[in-house]
Amino acid sequence: MPVKLFDGNSAAVESIRLARPGVIAAYPITPQSGIAEHLADEVADGRIRAEYVRVESEHTAMSVAVGAQLTGVRVATATASVGLALMHEVCGVAAGCRVPIVMPVVNRSLVAPWSLWCDHSDTMAERDTGWLQFYCATVQEVLDLTLSAYRIAEHEDVLTPAMVCLDGFFLSHSMQRVDTPPDEDAWDFVKPYVRRNMYLDPKDVMFINALCPTFEHTEMKYQQMVGFGNAARVAKDVFAEFEQRFGRKLHTVESYRLEDAEVAVVTIGSMSGAAKYVVNQLRDRGIRAGMLRICMFRPFPADEIREALKNVKVIGVVDRSSGLGAAQGPVCSEVKAACYGGTTKIFSFIGGIAGRDISDISFRRIFGELLEVKDGKRDSCTCWFDTREDAMDIREVEVPC
Amino acid sequence: MQKIKFYGVGGQGAVTAAKVLSIAVCLYQDEYAVTVPVYSHERRGSPVYAHIIVDDQPVLLNCYVYEPDIIVVFDDNLLDMGVDVAEGCTEDTVLVLNTARPEMVDKYRRAGGFRRICVCDATGAAVKNIGLNIPNSAMLGALARTGVVSIDAVCSALRDSFGKVGEKNVDAARDAYEDTIDA
Amino acid sequence: MSTPQETRTRTPSTRKVLGPCSHVLVAAHTGSWRSERPKADEALCVRCGTCARYCPTACITVRREGVPLTFDWDYCKGCGICANECPKQALTMIPEGSEEACR
Repeated sequence: MPVKLFDGNSAAVESIRLARPGVIAAYPITPQSGIAEHLADEVADGRIRAEYVRVESEHTAMSVAVGAQLTGVRVATATASVGLALMHEVCGVAAGCRVPIVMPVVNRSLVAPWSLWCDHSDTMAERDTGWLQFYCATVQEVLDLTLSAYRIAEHEDVLTPAMVCLDGFFLSHSMQRVDTPPDEDAWDFVKPYVRRNMYLDPKDVMFINALCPTFEHTEMKYQQMVGFGNAARVAKDVFAEFEQRFGRKLHTVESYRLEDAEVAVVTIGSMSGAAKYVVNQLRDRGIRAGMLRICMFRPFPADEIREALKNVKVIGVVDRSSGLGAAQGPVCSEVKAACYGGTTKIFSFIGGIAGRDISDISFRRIFGELLEVKDGKRDSCTCWFDTREDAMDIREVEVPC
Repeated sequence: MQKIKFYGVGGQGAVTAAKVLSIAVCLYQDEYAVTVPVYSHERRGSPVYAHIIVDDQPVLLNCYVYEPDIIVVFDDNLLDMGVDVAEGCTEDTVLVLNTARPEMVDKYRRAGGFRRICVCDATGAAVKNIGLNIPNSAMLGALARTGVVSIDAVCSALRDSFGKVGEKNVDAARDAYEDTIDA
Repeated sequence: MSTPQETRTRTPSTRKVLGPCSHVLVAAHTGSWRSERPKADEALCVRCGTCARYCPTACITVRREGVPLTFDWDYCKGCGICANECPKQALTMIPEGSEEACR
């Protein structure tokens, strides 16, 4: 398989090209701009034979995507941060009308404070919109998960749109080697788009997304819920087929050295490599440390997580978004719920906000606290890690008396 | 594993150089690299950083470099601009410095205690071969002196990256490679 | 390059503020970003004012015939849009710090 060098944005574009969309509607936003721009290049140069609709906002981008895909073509779009927030309303339309759009989302903080840099507050705010969510750890996974997402989202038992989330700059602008399947092999895997549900066709008219009476609305949400349940199974099947064809293993959750682990971290996204690195360091010192990475966040693989973590004594769940007002970060909430009833101690860690690096140093500190809990030396952890001591005093202004 | 940090000024192509280095290492040396560039407010003239980790096995770390084995300084004004290029360095950290001013070598040595400084007038090599004040390709030639990447891999990656002006960039890199001295 | 200008409120008492806010207003001297600068060929210039209208920092002043174009070098960021837009190609971009630029 040819090795190419891609940054995360280019890997997303490559996987979209391999899936041969017929319509593209994207609005550029940092750090996603490379996707919108390179897709335009691919269309201009004839490598993607698609209609590129230049839209004036993300709200319109998703509206075009929904309408176009309902005609029976695969559609491409991508966004980030406030762009995703502006899309929010139409994301719900795509999900409820069962339009299986696959959309890379380059994770960037929501405002305010204004930021261009990575955290998961944008996609975590969309976690209950009715979209599947996959979080990539490497640029290779951007390509692999996007290709797989088409198969999962478009499966007749799923028919649910999917976000493929990649960390802004840490993945979107990080050059890494990527094994890239030849066009025909990828096409043979992704397969042509087939409309399997409602459609827009002037010769056979449907009225789509009309006002839905209360006595049916619950049932339609129930249908979506069933779709999510099926997605968990379909994802496993698609990942197995992917591995058979391309030799790379994809995960709903990835266990790393967890077999006999006493302490572990649960991670999501590009921070996971640094966590593995520190697990290896600790193992070299004879400390039984492990890691669990959540790759598929929607549907949430609660059973697998409970099973993987059942023998671990102390766990730290690292969220890259603040989960304001909640008892813990959003990933931690779900992990705690999944493990409810067990004896494991689970602690929430929140950091990496708006581009703050989560490095091996951060994980050494986190594991240090978890080990102290295990040894009975402390019973709480520093939830907001790598946060400045002077957090409450950083801005001061002169004011009239 | 070798951890490398690039320090440049916006417009000099330091981030592009980091990406070209990734190509050189991954495609022409059959090793692995992860590049994490740091973008701030995007404009010419402000300090720019890129972090690169090179290894002969897949790189797990996808974060910044805090204790570099090699630092590459694209602009000798960076110290005067208040950039602490010595941050995280030890005397074993190798400095690759773009300068045409011999007195800068001592200045940087005082700042970081570097035992080995690879000095090159990369800007001169760029102006001579490309006609532009963009020293990135030449700096990769100078970096090849440290052994982390071969000059042939750098040249192949430059041809891949720069299309029609690839050969001019290769010439700049080779000139810089030849001219780099250990100080 | 001159130093950034600071505009302060009058009364010197301070208060902590939560969130992204500042009272020290610093003009961003975009001129410091420049690696090239526009140079006008006064003989070709027809005073149409296109360059001034397109300049994103509004730093070009066009006066009547015979008076040279003036650029506010504190703010010209060297983007070259003026040179691209000039219908008479009367503007060229020259390297910052070149002898020609210092003249």
